[in-house]
Amino acid sequence: MKQMTSRHGAGRWLTAAAAVTAVLGVTGALHSAQAQKIVTVVLSEEPEGLDGCNANRSTVGRVAKQNIVETLTEIDPKDGTIRPRLATSWTKVNATTWRFELRKGVKFHDGADFNATNASKAISRTMDSKLDCETRTKSFGDLKLSTKAVGSHTLDISANKPVPILPTRMGVVSLSSPNTRTDKLVLNPIGTGPYVFDKWTPGQEITLKRFNGYWGKKPVVEGARYIWRSESTVRAAMVEVGEADIAPNIAVQDATNPKMDFSYPNSETTRLRIDITQAPLNDKRVRLALNYAFDRDALIGSILSKDIEHATQIIVPSINGHNPALKVRKYDPAMAKKLIAEAKAAGVPVGKEIVIIGRTNIYPNGTEAMEAMMSMFQDVGLNVKLRMMEVGSWLKYLTKPYDKNRGAILLQAQHDNNNGDAVFSVFNKFACGGAQSSICNKPMDELISKASTMSGDERRKTWQEVNRIIYEDITSDVWMYHMVGYSRVGGRINFTPSISTNSELHLEEMSFK
Amino acid sequence: MASFLGRRALHSAIALIGLILAVFFLVRLTGDPTDLYLPIDASLETRKEFAHKHGFDRPSAEQFLVFLKDVSNGDLGYSLRKQRPAMELVLEAYPTTLALAGVAMVLSITLAIIVGAIAAYKPGGVFDRISSMASLAGASAPDFWIAITGILIFAVTLRWLPTSGVGDLPYWILPIGVLMLRPFGLMVQVVRAAMLGALSSAYVKTARAKGVGETAVIFVHALRNACLSIVTVAGDLTVGMINGAVIVETVFGWPGVGKLMIDSVMQRDFPTVQATIMVTATAIFLLNIAIDFLYVALDPRIRHQ
Amino acid sequence: MSRLTRGYVTNELNIMTTAEQESLIIRRGSPWWRMLLRDRFALVAALWLFVLTLCFLFGPLLFEDAATKLNLRARNLPPGSLEHGWLMYLGGDALGRPMLARLIVASRNTLAIALSAVFVAMIVGGILGMIAGYVGRSVGHVIMRFADILQSFPSLLLAVVVLYILEPNVTNLVIVLAITRLPIYLRVTRAEVLEIRERVFVDAARALGGSRYHILRRHITPVVAPTLLTILTVDFSIVMLAESSLSFLGIGIQPPEITWGLMVAAGRNYLSQAWWLAFLPGLAIMMATLSGNILSNWLRVVSDPEQRWRLEDSSGKKSGQTDA
Repeated sequence: MKQMTSRHGAGRWLTAAAAVTAVLGVTGALHSAQAQKIVTVVLSEEPEGLDGCNANRSTVGRVAKQNIVETLTEIDPKDGTIRPRLATSWTKVNATTWRFELRKGVKFHDGADFNATNASKAISRTMDSKLDCETRTKSFGDLKLSTKAVGSHTLDISANKPVPILPTRMGVVSLSSPNTRTDKLVLNPIGTGPYVFDKWTPGQEITLKRFNGYWGKKPVVEGARYIWRSESTVRAAMVEVGEADIAPNIAVQDATNPKMDFSYPNSETTRLRIDITQAPLNDKRVRLALNYAFDRDALIGSILSKDIEHATQIIVPSINGHNPALKVRKYDPAMAKKLIAEAKAAGVPVGKEIVIIGRTNIYPNGTEAMEAMMSMFQDVGLNVKLRMMEVGSWLKYLTKPYDKNRGAILLQAQHDNNNGDAVFSVFNKFACGGAQSSICNKPMDELISKASTMSGDERRKTWQEVNRIIYEDITSDVWMYHMVGYSRVGGRINFTPSISTNSELHLEEMSFK
Repeated sequence: MASFLGRRALHSAIALIGLILAVFFLVRLTGDPTDLYLPIDASLETRKEFAHKHGFDRPSAEQFLVFLKDVSNGDLGYSLRKQRPAMELVLEAYPTTLALAGVAMVLSITLAIIVGAIAAYKPGGVFDRISSMASLAGASAPDFWIAITGILIFAVTLRWLPTSGVGDLPYWILPIGVLMLRPFGLMVQVVRAAMLGALSSAYVKTARAKGVGETAVIFVHALRNACLSIVTVAGDLTVGMINGAVIVETVFGWPGVGKLMIDSVMQRDFPTVQATIMVTATAIFLLNIAIDFLYVALDPRIRHQ
Repeated sequence: MSRLTRGYVTNELNIMTTAEQESLIIRRGSPWWRMLLRDRFALVAALWLFVLTLCFLFGPLLFEDAATKLNLRARNLPPGSLEHGWLMYLGGDALGRPMLARLIVASRNTLAIALSAVFVAMIVGGILGMIAGYVGRSVGHVIMRFADILQSFPSLLLAVVVLYILEPNVTNLVIVLAITRLPIYLRVTRAEVLEIRERVFVDAARALGGSRYHILRRHITPVVAPTLLTILTVDFSIVMLAESSLSFLGIGIQPPEITWGLMVAAGRNYLSQAWWLAFLPGLAIMMATLSGNILSNWLRVVSDPEQRWRLEDSSGKKSGQTDA
């Protein structure tokens, strides 16, 4: 308020003029970065914070994960296998406990030693319910972890119930320095990664510097500068003219330069969630008709990218539990009409209004895709309307408790799982107790809880069976696509975007031409 | 004068309190923010726990009491989204908005007075027609469209200017240009109309009869008479801009208060919304008082009333 | 101090008010259409508004189907070719729907929203302004503080609140836009009323025993109305653009509804590949606004005895009249 009281009437232009000079001063030295080996990344939005325990949120992760803060294990985005990072090896002690051998000679950026005690502190901080760490709220739910240092670099991690894939789960837990405050989230993360958090000019940029005491190979890139622009056109333009080196996320229509633009599967799966409790959607024939009425091929290479793939389930093929046997339903409007006629004959009120609830900006051209699907459903005689909403209103329909008078709803949804296992997707979306589930199938529920405690082949097969039930027996969705993202990479650097580019952007993988 | 100022301040304070009350309760009608803060895949238990911890599950009236208590301790709330005190965020963003609004308004007013006055001198003439059309066309073009087209033309195709961002002079040209379009277009109309009136007034005729040069007639005698309405409209336009140049800030990546406001509203970041409104509303009320003073300075008749 | 006129047109209005009630009545000279024919700009503007009226009335009836029919093969089809039929002459949009048909159909929503919003704002603001200016000080103060609050209430927040609680349809959007434009009408009306109520003819009416309602309706409204109508023509474009900005920000009208503003907002994603998607609806907004303004300027000149000569006779009198 100090600023305000000095701002009386006529003095306001003076104040504004002072502000002009202030703003000019702050960012005078923009171009000097180009000469050094510093990479400029243009994101779609400013990160909400940078605390290491939020690094599995994509906006934070793109800056911090594996750059500033690292994890014990790392999931290979290509096949879902687990690789060592800060842990060198791990063994199962019993059903609930795993023992991790930690890497030696690793230091945090503030000089603290990376050892079992400090790793334990970092995990406890992440799991502390006083803090709203996204790692806990997103990936652990009701799963509680406790840790015990059993040697200087040996750490036991136990869960409150059997977790056969604990090493996979540790791939989402980023470890911050023991000196990080524990009463609230911080804006200046201190980790063990190859880059040190340097400076955050709110609203404008975040800069990182190379960490000289890094345990691993010294990366080529000396530092990074993160900026953000909400318009995809602007982001693409910035890389084109050399103001930025990488735009990790641009819309398909802006990816017009084959030399600069790379598509990569981004582990997102899109669908329309059918509310199977509401007439006429409570009839399986109507749900099948929706699936047959959807001209899947028409959107590929037109509204959406030519590189997307048809989906039959919530997880992409590289994730454990994906069922390759499920066959994509062919576009067959005649079949759809026949099914609707049968349902009508059986007394199902097929003329009742069905509403597609869409979310603006859920993915590039998501609105156009919904308009197209509405039109396809109308073509087979269903009474379908479309309502696009901003995210806050849309969430009301996505998560429980649902409104009693919601009517027959098809919900535009997108899910991202690059964490290696189906467990991160299936429970929440399809179990009776799942926050976003529109179905409750008791036998399948038992399978889901059983699968969570299994491991190996058995686990994979059980998840595959669950995916089959969802797809064939229940048909609670109109599956759309496994999506791709587009990155634009400037001519100055070498970098190939991968499936994880959506949520992590490893500076150590980049080099200059 | 002092009593006037006191009364005006009191009225503004009452309105400000009314505004804050309205915002506090209205913003809470847009729903529980829990879902927006938590990851989309958070479990039902996590949601419940989170809502309870931050008081989102309590009735608005109860939340308001907590808010009052905090405000009396000088605490205007903490932004869960940004993990920082809300007021800090607003005060950080405000200079950017003021700078944008200030520069754009000064330039618009100056240019509009020149163009409008020349247009009014020969109404219906070529300059009048062209300037009226051009300024109106500019004022009625969608600003985000102009902004993105401007970037594509001047930054990508011609490479004369940087695409976006905050920096030295070249960085200001596109945002200020876009921001000026509407106030300039409207102001030209107003200046022209006001000058038309002033130029045909007895006062100006007398000046002419006395042999005052035409330039002086337009820019001294007539303009003085036209000032009141110019100030009125300029004031209204500035008020609009102080509320945030949302579109320009969004497209060009300027961290102003308009962008902060829209992000906070969309993310249901209630403390930040409240803090933003407190600051912008205070600025608007101050501006209104300043405009009233300007009236008095410009028109002695008002002083006598 | 309370008498300050805070409108767009203070001084100019002084001219109008000297002419008072009869100002809008054309007293002598040529009929209006002859004057319209003489002013080419005004003529074009009037013709364009006539075309828009036709689109408004019959567009959706005739082209609704064409405007919503998907044709992914004609996706982002550039304008200027008749190969896909005349409706495709202005190109196709991102889903291959003909731009021309969509522009015509969208005119109804766009104009309906803009017109109703400004009229609602004008009527409500005008009535409140009259009450504030004529009825009494304390009521006046309450209303003015209310206007202060409305003016500093961010329209965006208002839009989110209203459209969250109610459905984001045309009616509710009109409510939001009307509320945001209301203060300007309120302030201008009040300022005018404060001045007019002291005039001789109002005093006379009062002395003759006219009721408040009678005086407001019969004597004050006719004087205030032209000012408000002037603001209205400017506001018309502001409202159309505000509606467009709301769509750009993801609130406001959403597909499958169409308005020009929404078309611009959706088309901006394709600016670097298919400029016509955003350009054409933007042009439509610009042309509608320009026409409205040109025509209202013309009307003002026609109704103003000091300027009317310009349209009546362009020969001879010019030099003598400029200084008049």
